[in-house]
Amino acid sequence: MIFDVSHKTHYRYSLPVVQSQHLIHMSPRTVARQTIRHHSLIVEPAPALRYDSVDALGNPVLILDIEVPHKELILHARTTVETHAAPQIDGAATVPWSRLDDSFKHLARGLPLDVIQYRCASRLTTATREISDYARVSFTRGRPVLEAAMDLNRRIFKDFKFDNTATDVSTPITTVFKQRRGVCQDFAHLALTCLRAVRVPSRYVSGYILTRPPPGQIRLQGADASHAWISVWSPESEWVDLDPTNGIVVSDEHITIAHGRDYDDVSPISGVLLGGGEHSVSVGVDVVQIS
Amino acid sequence: MIVLGLGGCGHVIGCSQDDARNDTRTGLGTGPRTMTNTAPAVVAKDDALIQSYRQAGTDRSGRYDEMLTPTGEVRPHWRGFLGQLGQLSDNERFTRSVRLDRRVRETGIAYDIFADPSKPAQRWQLDLAPIIISSAEWRWLESALIQRARLFDAILNDIYGQQKLMRDGLVPPELVFSDSAYLSACQGILPKSGGLQFYAADLARGADGQWRIIDNHTETLAGVGYALANRVVHTHVAGDLFKASNAIRLASYFQDMQGALTQHSQRENARIALLTPGPRHEDYFSHAYLARYLGYLLVEGSDLRIKGSQVYLKTLEGLKEIDLIVRCVDGRDMDPLELNPMGFDGPAGLVRVTRKTPQIAVNPAGSAVAQNRGLGRYLPLLAERLLGEELKLPDAPRWWLGDAASQTHVRANLDHLVIRKAQEGTGRPGQAALGQDTRTLTPTDHALLTSDIELHGARLVAEEKIGFSVAPVYGRNGLAPKPFAVRLFVNKTRAGYQVMPGGLAMTVDPDRAVALSAPDGHTRDVWVLSEADQGPHVSLWRPTLETARVERSQRVIQSRVADDLYWLGRYSERADWTMRVLRSALRRVEEDNGPATGRRAARKCLEVLLAKNSDDADARKVPVETEIENLCALLISNPKGHRTLERTFEGLYRVAHLARDRLSLEAWQALSRFRPGDTWVKSLSSAAPIAVLDLLDEGLASVAAFNGLMHENMTRNFGWSFLDMGRRMERAYNLSEAILTLFIPVPEGEEEASSLLLLLELADSFITYRSRYRLDPMLALVLDLLLLDEANPRSLAYQLAAMSRHMEGLPTAQRGVSLSEDRRLILSALTSIRLTDVEAIAREPNGAALERLMLDQLQLLPELSNAISRHYFNLTQDAPHRVHTRIDPRGEAKP
Repeated sequence: MIFDVSHKTHYRYSLPVVQSQHLIHMSPRTVARQTIRHHSLIVEPAPALRYDSVDALGNPVLILDIEVPHKELILHARTTVETHAAPQIDGAATVPWSRLDDSFKHLARGLPLDVIQYRCASRLTTATREISDYARVSFTRGRPVLEAAMDLNRRIFKDFKFDNTATDVSTPITTVFKQRRGVCQDFAHLALTCLRAVRVPSRYVSGYILTRPPPGQIRLQGADASHAWISVWSPESEWVDLDPTNGIVVSDEHITIAHGRDYDDVSPISGVLLGGGEHSVSVGVDVVQIS
Repeated sequence: MIVLGLGGCGHVIGCSQDDARNDTRTGLGTGPRTMTNTAPAVVAKDDALIQSYRQAGTDRSGRYDEMLTPTGEVRPHWRGFLGQLGQLSDNERFTRSVRLDRRVRETGIAYDIFADPSKPAQRWQLDLAPIIISSAEWRWLESALIQRARLFDAILNDIYGQQKLMRDGLVPPELVFSDSAYLSACQGILPKSGGLQFYAADLARGADGQWRIIDNHTETLAGVGYALANRVVHTHVAGDLFKASNAIRLASYFQDMQGALTQHSQRENARIALLTPGPRHEDYFSHAYLARYLGYLLVEGSDLRIKGSQVYLKTLEGLKEIDLIVRCVDGRDMDPLELNPMGFDGPAGLVRVTRKTPQIAVNPAGSAVAQNRGLGRYLPLLAERLLGEELKLPDAPRWWLGDAASQTHVRANLDHLVIRKAQEGTGRPGQAALGQDTRTLTPTDHALLTSDIELHGARLVAEEKIGFSVAPVYGRNGLAPKPFAVRLFVNKTRAGYQVMPGGLAMTVDPDRAVALSAPDGHTRDVWVLSEADQGPHVSLWRPTLETARVERSQRVIQSRVADDLYWLGRYSERADWTMRVLRSALRRVEEDNGPATGRRAARKCLEVLLAKNSDDADARKVPVETEIENLCALLISNPKGHRTLERTFEGLYRVAHLARDRLSLEAWQALSRFRPGDTWVKSLSSAAPIAVLDLLDEGLASVAAFNGLMHENMTRNFGWSFLDMGRRMERAYNLSEAILTLFIPVPEGEEEASSLLLLLELADSFITYRSRYRLDPMLALVLDLLLLDEANPRSLAYQLAAMSRHMEGLPTAQRGVSLSEDRRLILSALTSIRLTDVEAIAREPNGAALERLMLDQLQLLPELSNAISRHYFNLTQDAPHRVHTRIDPRGEAKP
């Protein structure tokens, strides 16, 4: 499928911002499931410095430095991307989760660090006893790693309720777990916390998802979604994307932007401002399927 | 995965052998008595000291003794010191140790005024007896630490470069990836930065006489400033002992450090800044002391700003380029943009700068990962692989709990082990956490710990108890053996790594500590003996002619420092004024009773400072004397008032502390009386009113001494301008307020006379008035003297004119055609006073013109103060903050 994605973020400040620096993760990375046809980002006011690079996790990243005083900041990213259906996977055909250590050994190039780094708990995915016990319900003795992960993915979808008023960006995972409520970002973090508690390599994926209007209604402008899900590694299938918010295996309606250990690594826009006072932000995302 | 040998560290180390050899060689003489040929007459006293040491305490049993051989003889390298110490009388020795205490206090090592008051005070004591290390042993330690620094440098270069060690399993990848000190954003920078610049190691010597490293510090300078301060203090008090031992001085080590850093910056006249988290950090003393000693700028994150790919310092004269940052903040907190989003200890964008200019920060960001305690067990193999050498000095035995085999072993042997964090960071020396000793845990905590090991093993280590050797400490009864651990410091120079010939030793509790945990803050200097004669004393405090350059303009002034000095001026003047009001009021009650109108006038002044409403004045029941005493007590100490004396002293002491590197020792001492919690401050709120009068006289004398010292000693630079402007601003405000309070509504007859008298007293202008007019005070004349007379340093016009002059001399960031807001306000305030016709005002029966004039001033002055803040201190810009968006599937546009 081919999609046009428009992602517009508009900041408004109560006082002039004297200087601002931003770290932007809005340019989609290349992954097996998708091909980037086109990407552009318009920034207003024009930055004094615009520095494109690739971060330590392989994501395209942009650093902006704005030196003119401003009370509004607009970032408008446009992307055309082609997605391909993911190959069929067989969870039962993967190695038992407790045997993963063995599969890392005896590799010609040494230990696969780009996989192992995603086994370790990060700031936002540090487990508690309760969360670890929750994970163990899926990760029973000798169970194939991907089968167990898919089971966990479905359980989170079943046990947790989507509620975008229950949490905010700083809500810790322990609260999400207790309340059994949250948004996609929280569910992704919870899934990662569980998987890493049993030392299964898993990463945070930020991106977009195609939403379909309810039957009989028209699609609303700007009503599509930024989204977050996870990706789980097994030696047989390598990285497989799972979406705990929807309880599904990702196919061709998800568009990946970036991979991270957690949200901190791939926040679409983060910035440090001098001045600015209070700020408000509005975000509009449109994902349009063009073929 | 690596198979771990569980047998502990079986490495044979040469130090004890060296010692033994030394002993034999010198033992060829006739024993200790003939050793110190400089002082043969002191043998008897010397023996008495050793005797006291032999008898004291049981701490020695089963421990290595630094001073005595197993057969009880004094080791040769202690003899010079003991000989000289023996020459002193008991009393002299005791006096020396008391002077050490006092010096430590005055230098400020012991105090941390920002510490949470509920926490026990940070203590710091320096013992008269040092730890002495023989030159043979030192040569060995030196080579072992240099090897260790090279090893860590090589490990870091790999972790932030090729990562081959992790791929080959020589460094467990999960150890690195679980460590928050590993900064993946800094991948690739460290290898280009010049690598590890500073390293420090904590060591302890076991019963077998072998040294082991009990902790490593690869993040920052690790408190080297404390070691330096200890040495400076000790030499002041006991330089003769140091000399008699023929120990090595520290100055050349720091000279080499200066040279190395200048070279590292690749600039001849490099502007070098020491980046500190600020006064709230427990290690701040060390940062401030070292910056001053090395002549570097002491800056905080908010003093710096990144533009493009360059780091700038915000100064009164605009942005100045910084060439090198000596990083004393945690790597992960040095850039809120790319690293820890909550870490604001450095300027946003610093990581980006280090990508372009990798050598700009030392140590480079991310270096702390090498100090992870879990690495210890892997170091012998790493030394072989990376250096092709055998590891000379191992770490104390530890298990990294991220390793499955280690976990199994540890679970089975939990009772002999202490569980600690693998990465603790580097705080004030001696504050290493004790860790969890499983023998002392409740069953619940024990279960929690087991669960923690299972869930977060990668961030934990288990440690065996280690031995600590003993060495003498001095007390009233002579010398006694006490266990200790020592921190040694390493710096990289042109010629390779260099170990500071000295260190910081701290007394530890051998039953609980497995690291440098010394909560009682008992420290000892570390002396390294030289084989050669020591040259004359060189200190960096006194530069030689070759290194000194004539420089008229002082160091640049950071905007933040200007702000601190401005408030130092305001608080010192506020303290002075408040004490004057209190003194005048109490005198009218306690000394000559005088007319009742005088007491009523004083009451008004107290009330306005307490922001109390005096409308209900008539409804009062208690006599005015009692009331004044009550008000005075409230003005001294009252949790609600913000202009109380206690609050003012707090503010005064705080900003003085912040601006300490701009104050002379004498000026600082003049303020020491006002330290919150000090006896003088305490007795002020508890003493009887009559005694308070004496205390106030003392306090006023201290403020006067401080002002005098600043006036006489401070260079007339921008810093001075801000200090003086602060003082003038405060005085102008207080005077205007007092005039309004005392003369509106207009007092009549005797009440007017009393008010005039009080005003003259408060403004310290009574004598001036008397010598000029020889009349009883009259309103027009008093107002002329206190409002208009620009020759009277107590008048309002004088304050405003002085501020105006200072402002003319200040650099203007934005030069425009129109006046800046602060200039406009001062012009308006000064002009309205200069244009005043005092006789007309004094004749006016309802005082409307005077009231308007004073109200205008009281409105203009705070506006002016804010305008100065905005113009020069950039307060609004000083607090960077973060924004980020949450991934929220519905955004704002909800369907």
